[in-house]
Amino acid sequence: MDTATDAQNYIALLEVPEEKVAVLPGASADLTSVTFCIREEDHTLGNSLRWAIMQNPQVDFCGYSIPHPSEAKMNIRIQTTDQTNAVDAMDKGIDDLKSVCQLMKARLQQRLGQGDYARTS
Amino acid sequence: MIAEVPTMAIDMVLFNENTSVLADEFFAHRLGLVPLVSTSVDQFKYSRDCTCGEYCKECSVEFTLHVKCTEPGTRVVHSSELISSNKDVVPVVDDNGRGVILLKLSKGQEINVHCVAKKGVAKEHAKWSPCAAVGFEYDPHNNLKHLDYWFEKGIKEEWPLSKNAEEETENDPSAPFDYNAEPTTFYFNVETIGSLDPQAVVIKATRVLQEKLGALQMALEEDQHPDTNANMDEADPWV
Repeated sequence: MDTATDAQNYIALLEVPEEKVAVLPGASADLTSVTFCIREEDHTLGNSLRWAIMQNPQVDFCGYSIPHPSEAKMNIRIQTTDQTNAVDAMDKGIDDLKSVCQLMKARLQQRLGQGDYARTS
Repeated sequence: MIAEVPTMAIDMVLFNENTSVLADEFFAHRLGLVPLVSTSVDQFKYSRDCTCGEYCKECSVEFTLHVKCTEPGTRVVHSSELISSNKDVVPVVDDNGRGVILLKLSKGQEINVHCVAKKGVAKEHAKWSPCAAVGFEYDPHNNLKHLDYWFEKGIKEEWPLSKNAEEETENDPSAPFDYNAEPTTFYFNVETIGSLDPQAVVIKATRVLQEKLGALQMALEEDQHPDTNANMDEADPWV
């Protein structure tokens, strides 16, 4: 067998690392309506991120789904007004949810540090 | 909190001797479920990310258990008899200091096993879950009328209030209903199996969520501004 064919076969066998996030076909040209496909994520991130994105008044629609339980994929659809675009709305949603986590963690640690909570036994 | 906070749990068991009544695979499963103190779990790598061949002290903790019953009667083997290679990762013990019962031996029976505990998350197997139960509720007095209780004689008699009701007051039933009211206080009940304390579980769970968001944001940024490194994957190595 010639080396060129060998190389071709080898390339076909190589495992292509798939990207964490991809934009699914069918996005509008101005990116106001986009469906993102996020790998290795589930309802843990999907539902909380959907909530965070929906808090943005510029977002008309946001929903997520896990198309098949055997595939580690989570699709999240964002439609925005023409004041912004879905990528920015996603970015803002992530930032907002990060801040929520940060605030909740800081408050909890502060209160735990004070130690004025009831204990059983 | 249930599925993605990492802990340590026994993942591999080598049987040197097992003359007990429990089959090897049955006892190995029991060992996997033994709660291990996991306060130092952050110091360990996931075995799959470690550079070692099978397991090493950076990604695992070894345990040995060797008990033989030589006297008449029943010898009860507790999880506290597992000897750990790392003083920070030991079986969780209760107030009596013995831990859970692993198995019982009668005269002449012997168990001699070597176990390897690894770091993992409960998405892979429930034995890695730090939590026994996680629940949450809001509005214990049902002031917001999000619930429509089923009852025969009266709601008050048939639906006992939860403990969290002490934290809030009930709205005056004769007052007009505030349809703009929203829930503001959420009560989480976190019950752990002893490997981590509930405070640590909540904080670690928040950190896990933040890490997920960070990873996603980085991937999103890379997607928008593909840097020069991204083209390296596409370069043909045979040219």
